Amino acid sequence: MIDRSEIENNVTPEQLAKRTLIPQEKKTKKRRSSVKGIIYTLLILTAVICFIPFLMMLVNATRSNDAILTGFTLIPGTALMENYRTMMEYVNIWNGFKNSLIISVLVTLLTGYFSALTAYGFAFYTFKGKNFLFVFMLVMMMVPGQLGLIGFYELCKNLGILDTFIPLIVPAVASPFVVFFLRQYIQTTLHPSLIEAARIDGASELRIFHTVAIPIMMPAVATMSIFTFIGSWNNYIMPLVILFSPEKYTLPVLMGFLKGSQVAQNLGSMYLGIAISVVPIMIAFLFLSKYIVNSISAGAVKE
Amino acid sequence: MKNLNRYGYAFIAPFWIIFLIFNIYPVALTFYYSFTNYSGSGTAEVVGFANYQRLIADSYFVEAFFNTWKIWGVNFALQIVIALILAMIFSDARVKMKGLSFFRSIFYLPNLITVSSVALLFGILLDWQHGSLNMVLMNIGVISEPINWLNQPTTAQLSVSLILTWMWFGHSFIVVMAGVSGISTDFYEAALIDGANRWQTFTKITLPLLKPILLYIMITSLIGGLQLFDLPMLLTDGIGSPDGSLNTMVLYLYNQAFKYNNYGYAAAVAYGLFIITVIFSAIVFKSMYGNERKQARRV
Amino acid sequence: MKKVIGLMMSLVLLFGILAGCSNSESSGEAKGDKDVDLKVWSFTDELKKPITKFEEKNGVKIELTIVPIADYPTKLKPVLESGVGAPDVFTGEIAFLKQWVNAGYWENLSENPYNVNELADNYVPYVFDLGKDENGDVRALSWQTTPGGIYYKRSIAKEVLGTDDPDEIGEMLTSMDKVFEVSEKMKEKGYRMFPDEGSIRWFSQGDDPQAWVNEKDELKLTDQKIEFLDYAKKLREESYTALAPEWSPSWFEAMDKPIKVKENGDETETEVFSYVLPTWGLHSVLKTNVEDSVGDWAVTSGPSPYFWGGTWLGVYNKSENKELAYDFVKMMTQDDEFLTDWAKETGDVLSYLPVTNEIKGDFSDEFLGGQNNYQFFLEQAKSIEPGIVTKYDQQLDTFYGNAVQEYVDGKKSKDEAIAEFYKKAQNAYPELKVPKK
Repeated sequence: MIDRSEIENNVTPEQLAKRTLIPQEKKTKKRRSSVKGIIYTLLILTAVICFIPFLMMLVNATRSNDAILTGFTLIPGTALMENYRTMMEYVNIWNGFKNSLIISVLVTLLTGYFSALTAYGFAFYTFKGKNFLFVFMLVMMMVPGQLGLIGFYELCKNLGILDTFIPLIVPAVASPFVVFFLRQYIQTTLHPSLIEAARIDGASELRIFHTVAIPIMMPAVATMSIFTFIGSWNNYIMPLVILFSPEKYTLPVLMGFLKGSQVAQNLGSMYLGIAISVVPIMIAFLFLSKYIVNSISAGAVKE
Repeated sequence: MKNLNRYGYAFIAPFWIIFLIFNIYPVALTFYYSFTNYSGSGTAEVVGFANYQRLIADSYFVEAFFNTWKIWGVNFALQIVIALILAMIFSDARVKMKGLSFFRSIFYLPNLITVSSVALLFGILLDWQHGSLNMVLMNIGVISEPINWLNQPTTAQLSVSLILTWMWFGHSFIVVMAGVSGISTDFYEAALIDGANRWQTFTKITLPLLKPILLYIMITSLIGGLQLFDLPMLLTDGIGSPDGSLNTMVLYLYNQAFKYNNYGYAAAVAYGLFIITVIFSAIVFKSMYGNERKQARRV
Repeated sequence: MKKVIGLMMSLVLLFGILAGCSNSESSGEAKGDKDVDLKVWSFTDELKKPITKFEEKNGVKIELTIVPIADYPTKLKPVLESGVGAPDVFTGEIAFLKQWVNAGYWENLSENPYNVNELADNYVPYVFDLGKDENGDVRALSWQTTPGGIYYKRSIAKEVLGTDDPDEIGEMLTSMDKVFEVSEKMKEKGYRMFPDEGSIRWFSQGDDPQAWVNEKDELKLTDQKIEFLDYAKKLREESYTALAPEWSPSWFEAMDKPIKVKENGDETETEVFSYVLPTWGLHSVLKTNVEDSVGDWAVTSGPSPYFWGGTWLGVYNKSENKELAYDFVKMMTQDDEFLTDWAKETGDVLSYLPVTNEIKGDFSDEFLGGQNNYQFFLEQAKSIEPGIVTKYDQQLDTFYGNAVQEYVDGKKSKDEAIAEFYKKAQNAYPELKVPKK
């Protein structure tokens, strides 16, 4: 539907305006500016609605329990440090952050590399059973993760890897959707003659993959990596089932833990705990929003 | 050259090894458990189709099924309408809105936050007596009596739907925007010559051409929606209160397996969920593509 | 390409910063992992102080893991099953105690070298009996006994009822009808009798408490439990409560301070008169949350005796350090010196008779205005009926609580609420025989 080159291009409103090309009528200019004002107001209102829960969270994180129970205000309180101490007494949020990061980063790296490898294998070699395997993989792609949940749990129990990060990281090697996406991508972007040329130069197959295929696939891998990372970061049910020791909990599981713990007696501490789990992501997003938005567009349009 | 093709197997081997162990095997094992009365420890006794018979007659599963659909449906309708309106606003050449990337980022922001944090946050914001939302609404005089959002089935389900909308409309907006920017300007020029107004342009050109994109949003949202778990689990007591209205299919599966230790039955629930997902994805696909063969060639 | 590298870089950077942060924050527990001598799992923080004491006394290091009670059985079970990262000592709450003494995770304490049966006479009988498995072997011990009472504020009692004497107040609360009379008086003066409707659930068992499930796996909903539906509804309709659900922030807040209640279109500020809590409610709930009204409290008996909760602890049978683990159990349950200090410090009512006999005579608690709560609770403990504990209690209590809530909120009729309860119980536990309704 859309040129591949646009995966990296941020589409500006001006470009879009050109695309939709609807005639300019001069006499309605005045009316238009007032319509524009209304639309802007509505947009800003929507933006405020988007943001207000976060604002409430940030303000309340600085207020004491009884202040929050008495009423709502936008003026920050002074109980921030006290809330922090109460929270840290029961739940170490930073530890959850660390666990989530370790898992998500490793999952992203594994998914990226092995999916590229598999996609390359599917795209540039012909071997017996290739089509069958590819179709089988596509069928399995439709299977929701929860289907195997109970079997997965039993498997991990038998392998003795419950309460470790292994079941949360290693399965990332096999990500059918990413393989599918990358195969479609590389089939159209990498010409077989490039591979032939490399072979004539005497490069080994794996080396060709590393030096020729990977760089070409990189934009698509990056696109998929964002989804992989967000998906892994937000994963709740798997770590909830697999991990038992609180010091190994990931951030999402730790949030559920927070709800049942004694921290829940103190609303200020609760808000602070939630805020700590949210704010670093918001800051990271400030820097990365462009890539993320483009990836989503690309992911959707490419399918 | 031919001998090089055996590298193909080597390249896809790691994928398949892990895939077999961590994907295929658990799915098969779950299938086996669905015919047993396994309770999480001890031995599993094969009980034939008993679990499936129970599943068909299980009003909680049926309830979970309808709850999941209601919550997802309201959320999807809202999110797609908002996304379309926003996309129309930002792509209209006559209005020439500025700040697309700013608004896009703000709208998308809620989607990045860990769902369990979102659930916890709204759990306390929506509290009956002391939640900030009721306090604000009462202060500005919208309501005189605090609303017990999470204690009535309709408001609880609506709350989940709205939270989902809040989380996802930005995402849908971005995707729709991408779709709109892919539509060739020729169509609009032609429409202009034919004297079409804004509404006609939208319904006759934009919408039909956006169909693949809308389908994409719908299928991905549906698959995610049917697996709704984190929000209902953490928003109330974890077993679907109030009045079973937040009992979703995956939550039911989780509770049967890990809370009540009915692993065998939970496995059957998982397969029930799977079959439903397949059927409804097929229906959605068919209803949107049934009449248009030419587009069906797309993946 | 550049963008991709930039993206990767920022991810790595973020990772580095956060890892750095977390290291400095959590180094204590993460790195201390290797020299931990003993791992203890529990569902509250009440073992924190005893553990510190044990560490000082023996020069060892103990790691305490606290898992909220709702997740506790779900999380602990697989750990014990697999033995990976398992604790050496773990506690059990009464609601799932029955399930666990029979599951075989706890070491058999009736055998050598423990031989706890010799100590049987030292304990309140029901406490010792509950720790036994189906073969009569002891698997877990407890240091406490948990009869319940009603804690109330003396100042409010004086103002409304004309006296703050526990015996006299107790006389005014001997039946549910009388409780409602007092509630009405409280309301007239602008106070609320209880924080929430659930407060009275323990009195619903009446004088003849029955188990949820009998030996024939039959689910029993007694008439008293059904009557509780009406009592709860009356509390709500007559505005006798402060609408502060148990364990919620407002529930805790209302112990010490006036609280705002929004109902029927207006907001009123009120104070809560009493909390229905057992022995441990004093030290682990009231004392930790109350600052202003210390000394203004007292405890008395309600319409019927009840007991609530209780923590048992035992040694994990696959522990590699059983000796030290049992030493800890011993300190918690048999150490005269430690238990005397513990009782005096917290006001916790012990089940270890050598100590209770010693201290009950002249016990007095500052928090309760000098009342001898020991004498009071030991008297209540005599009427505890341990036979009513089943392995289904935790979930069934939750289900019934939901049913009551729905009836109170007017969403279901009484019959519907009960039918729903039966259905849920049957669904979670297919093996139960549930009355057809």
